[in-house]
Amino acid sequence: MGGPGGQFPSTQLSLLEAATAGAGLSNEALEHVSELYWKPVYRFIRVRFRKGNEDAKDLTQSFFATALQRDFFARFDPAKASFRTYLRMAVERFAASQHAAANRQKRGGDVEFAPIEEQAVIAESPEQVFEREWHRQLFGLSLDDLRIHCEACGKHLQFDVFAAYDLAAGDRPSYADLAARHGIAETSVTNYLAWARRMLRHFVTERLRGVTAGERDLRDEMRRLWT
Amino acid sequence: MDLSDSVLDHLRHAAALPDLTGTRYELESEIGRGGMGVVYAARDRQLDRRVALKILDSALAGEAQLIARLEHPAVVPIYETGMLPDGRAFYTMKLVAGAGLDQYVAGAPSLGECLRVIRRIGEALAFAHARGLIHRDLKPQNVMVGEFGEVYVMDWGVEAVAGTPAFRAPDARLDQRSDIYALGALLRFVLPPSTPPALEAIAAKAMRADPTGRYADAPALLADIERFQEGFAVEAWSEPLWHRLRRFASRNAVLLWLLAAYASVKFLLFFLRNI
Repeated sequence: MGGPGGQFPSTQLSLLEAATAGAGLSNEALEHVSELYWKPVYRFIRVRFRKGNEDAKDLTQSFFATALQRDFFARFDPAKASFRTYLRMAVERFAASQHAAANRQKRGGDVEFAPIEEQAVIAESPEQVFEREWHRQLFGLSLDDLRIHCEACGKHLQFDVFAAYDLAAGDRPSYADLAARHGIAETSVTNYLAWARRMLRHFVTERLRGVTAGERDLRDEMRRLWT
Repeated sequence: MDLSDSVLDHLRHAAALPDLTGTRYELESEIGRGGMGVVYAARDRQLDRRVALKILDSALAGEAQLIARLEHPAVVPIYETGMLPDGRAFYTMKLVAGAGLDQYVAGAPSLGECLRVIRRIGEALAFAHARGLIHRDLKPQNVMVGEFGEVYVMDWGVEAVAGTPAFRAPDARLDQRSDIYALGALLRFVLPPSTPPALEAIAAKAMRADPTGRYADAPALLADIERFQEGFAVEAWSEPLWHRLRRFASRNAVLLWLLAAYASVKFLLFFLRNI
């Protein structure tokens, strides 16, 4: 897969495409969507509504549960907005109504005020937090895919070189250092990095394909992601 | 895998870099990006020269070939089109040394020089339109003026691009007349503050909200500019009488001077004969 000169085959149909075409959202599709969006939704709720950890988790959980019950995914119209925007707006509406209900109870004295936590000083808007968390989750899951792929096809060295360079938390090592550390030529470092990045790109594309409604939507998301 | 912000930013950048394995090019640096793709400076190892390398969505590969067929002095020559190992399309083109039109205009060139640039752009548009290709995103940043005065129109558009607000026609569906609108906006952009009203009128006609009120094509707009430069009345403006007389006088200055000289001599002879 992904050899020189070849194009990556699509291994996954657009699950949303199937859902919006009236086939409904399969368990696999829902799992795929919630895997990618759970954390962004959770972070968005925390920042937008200043919820504590447990409240935000509960709200996120009930959002996905309610979305499934109310056929939320089938009502998505790709002509109007991207799925990500549609989902974020739905979360906002859902959480706002839950938040209002909770406040009504508070006024009645049933519920104690939850402490506002440290996220009050976040400089980014809730929308930016959602976007960034979505990127983080997308790349995190794609990196897991890459690691599993490397383990399955015996490319441990390629992954190690990639992780040492592209996932370095501080200063990146030089290609010469990496070559010496792994006992390989410097050109191999270049090739391994190019291969791993190409594969990462492929897995990101596949993850995106699962949560976009068709080829055009996918291309738009790709353009936004890479530019 | 939980990623820090800095690692995430690095990954987004690193995974977007073109993988040039199996090509004759070596990546140097990013030199620009737009709606259609990212442009890098690269080295052609085979011919030992620097080129501009543009990366496109694979769905636009056919469009790149279409652009490659645009052989015109005001269109940057395409050297090669191809596919990268990751499935994206690319093409390489001449790396133009020069300034974008916005930088060029900042140097306050003469009106005649500005009009020369606009005419070159218009000629490139006319050539492309005749081959069924429209630009879609004509703006100062997409026009380069080279160090020898050569003009290049770059970043020929594809279906994914919908123009830049200040230069975009308010048309629901972009076509050749949308490019005419953008050319009018470019004309207005390059004109100095004290511009002859005829040129203002040409730009205004090209930029009419109703596409049918604009020039029918690029040659029609260029013809009006040419009429202005040669001192004739332009189609876009019904000029007042005094302006028409002044233009007539300016265009026929030699003839008028000769007539005046002839009349003076005649008057002098008449005067001498009667004293």
